[in-house]
Order: sequence, then structure tokens, then C-alpha cells
Amino acid sequence: MDEYILQAKNLNLYYEDNHALIDINMVYKKNKVTALIGPSGCGKSTLIRTFNRMNDVIDGCKITGEVLFEGKNIYGKKVDVMDVRTRIGMIFQKPNPFPKSIRENLAYGPKLHGIRNKEKLKDIMECSLKQAALWDEVKDRLDESAMSLSGGQQQRLCIARALTVEPDVLLMDEPTSALDPLATSKIENLINELKKNYTVIIVTHNMQQAARVSDYTGFMYLGVLIEVGKTSQIFEAPEKELTENYITGRFG
Amino acid sequence: MGKFHNDLKLLKDEVEKMGKLSSSMLRDSITALENLDQDMAESVIMRKEELLRYDSEVEERALEILTLYQPMAKDMRKLATILKLDTYLARIGRYGYDIARVTKDLCCQPHIGKLVSIPHMADIVKGMIEDALTAFKEENTCCIDDLEERDDKVDALRHSIFRESVSYMMEDPKHITRCSHYIMIARYLERCADHACKMGEKIHYMVTGERKEIR
Repeated sequence: MDEYILQAKNLNLYYEDNHALIDINMVYKKNKVTALIGPSGCGKSTLIRTFNRMNDVIDGCKITGEVLFEGKNIYGKKVDVMDVRTRIGMIFQKPNPFPKSIRENLAYGPKLHGIRNKEKLKDIMECSLKQAALWDEVKDRLDESAMSLSGGQQQRLCIARALTVEPDVLLMDEPTSALDPLATSKIENLINELKKNYTVIIVTHNMQQAARVSDYTGFMYLGVLIEVGKTSQIFEAPEKELTENYITGRFG
Repeated sequence: MGKFHNDLKLLKDEVEKMGKLSSSMLRDSITALENLDQDMAESVIMRKEELLRYDSEVEERALEILTLYQPMAKDMRKLATILKLDTYLARIGRYGYDIARVTKDLCCQPHIGKLVSIPHMADIVKGMIEDALTAFKEENTCCIDDLEERDDKVDALRHSIFRESVSYMMEDPKHITRCSHYIMIARYLERCADHACKMGEKIHYMVTGERKEIR
């Protein structure tokens, strides 16, 4: 049981009258990559957004059921949302660095957590940039604006920024859909490295990407989790016909 | 049907045609051998070029579909099966060609006695290949569930043809060349049965998603 770092339990989500997530039960294993696939609007982004309470800010959004992080419900009373978002970081579709220097981007999170020591900040910065496979490319230009980096570099900077606060889980919502194939392959290699220390949950439209980077895959349709299994099984011989039809492109 | 599924269907049709060609080469080579029919043997030999053309075309188109569409699940299994079937069918047709070549050499003299075991063995092998092709076409494995038993019969016949030929050779050294050919032909037929079994394995995987070992 303890190998599951995150678990959705009877999770339902409503945007006003729209029942967007229907009775989701899904577990996420520690140090594994889990991919969520499904057609647009099936609820996969909504689902990962519930894992660090990003839906809290949406008016009319109501959630029932539980999201257990290390066994504790993140929607429980007395839970500090900021703490949840520290432990469960998120990378978005479009790179969103702050319009500041590379150094300031990376110092932002740790400073918010009260770290002021310059040496310590420098260590955190170097370590996260190395983990995000960006150190060699930016080590001589740390005071340049983050906006001067290429799209792929910006996305890796965002990953490095998420790592500075030492999360356990990284949520990635279409992290490569705005990147070229070369930058995409760098991020994919990076995901493979990251899973040694982190648990990754990735939403992707690109099925080949899901097949390449993930250990487990879940297929969602109309707010329902249709099938979850080992990635090799889902893409080689899925059990459900709906999954088969979707991944072979026979949908609609 | 989208372009991808249409392309895949066309490719499958091509493999079915290649299957017909290659099993016809084996079938006709055995008929030519039975009747020592030089013309028929020659017609099998002539089909080799067409077989080679299918072999490279099927492979080329399968790789093209793989590159362009990166298929998943049953489409991926079908394409993987097609790539393997291409090789097996090319080998089977090629054995038909080899038997036709030998037949031309054998035409100068009558058979030693009546040829019984080789045609019987060939009937079983042809049945195995045809049923594998039907299973592929219909995407249904019920007619290939007993390939293993049929393959056992083929193996037994090969041994019996070998022993029979050896006794003829011991009876009269003049029979050595001819009987060596019979032994080789039995060996070719046994290989064709093996290829049919391998086809069965791949088709089983294509249809069910599960791997099954035949013998």
C-alpha cells in the first residue's frame, strides 16, 4: 500500500452542472511515470489539476471524494494548500518562466520558503538546473533574462524551478506540445531521469510519447477512467474496446 | 475509413495475394513432381520473380505505414504479423521453386515405385498453409488451433520418407541421386510446415494480443 504515493478515491468533480470527473479511482506508484491519455475534454487535465488543488480557484467547481497523498486527503480540513503545491509541483503546456533572470526564477520558491543564505540558494540552483539537464547550457548566463532562452530551455527551466522546492510528485500537463521534436526528446529523456527521484504524472495527446515515457497509462473518456494498466499492455493489447478504438484512431 | 486504415487494408490484401501465389508455387511443384511434368515445373520456376516482387513490396509498404502512422494495439500487431508473414511466405514459395528445379532434373526417368508419401505429406502441409492464410484473412484462429498436431504428422512422415529412401539406396546405388532428392524434398516440406506454424503463432498474436508457442 505504501508504494502508492498518490491515490484518487471515488473522486468526482463538477463545474457547475457539468459532471467533469466521474468516480475516479486510480493509484500512482512512487518513482514511476504514469501517463493519462484521452480525447480533448475527457477530463485528464482536470484530473491532474485536482492533485495539487489547482481547481480551487475556479468558481463553481465542486469536488467530492478524496485525493490521498501519502495516505492523507489533500482536501481534508487543516491542509495547507501551499504545502500541497510544494510537495506536488506542476509543469504546464506552455513554458511560463517569470520575466526575470534565470537566477531569480530559481531563487523564487526557496526564498518564499524562507531560505536567504546565498550559498544555499546557489547550491539549490545548480542542483535543480543539473537535474533538469540545463546547467551546461545556462551556467555562464544565469543573470540573463529567462525570456531570452529558447522554448525548450524555458520549459526545462520551469522543471528546474519546480524542483527547487524539493517536491515528491511532478504533474506535467502536455509539457512538450509547444516544443519542437528536439526539445521534446530532451524533455522525454529528462522525464526518464527524473523518475529516479520523483513520481511523474503526465497528460499527453501524443500517444507515442505516452508509450515512450511512461510505466503506466490510464485512458479517460467523458470524465470516466476507462482503463489503467502497464503501458506496454495498454498499447499492445488493451482490454477495453473503447481504449483499442481510441489508440488505433478509430474514434468517432 | 481513414487513409491509414485504408492503406493497412490494401497491404493486408497484398499479403493475401502473396499467400495465394506462394502456396500455388508449392502446390504446383508437387503436382509437377508427381506427374514428372516439366512444363508445370517450368511455370513454377517462372513465378519466382513475382514472388520476389511481392516480398520487397510488402516489406516496403509495411515500413512506410509504420513510419507514417506509428500504429498502436491491433493495428500494430497486424503490421508486425504482416512483416513476419512476408518472410515466411517468401520462404514457402521459394521451396516450391526449389522442388520445381529438382523436378526438372528428375523428369528424365520414372519414379522409383509409386510416389505416395511425399504427395500425402504435401497435402497436410498445403492444408496448414491454406488454413493459416484463412485465419489471417478472417482474423479468426479456430482453423489453426490444431497446427501442432498436424506438424507432428509432417515430422513423422519426413522420418518415414528418409528411412524408405535409405532402404532404396542400399538396395541399389543407382537410386542414390534420386532418393537424395526425395529426402531433400521431404525436408523442404517439413520446413514449410514449420513456417506455417510460425505463421499461426503470429496470427494468434495478431487476433488475440496473446503470444502462443506452437510446439
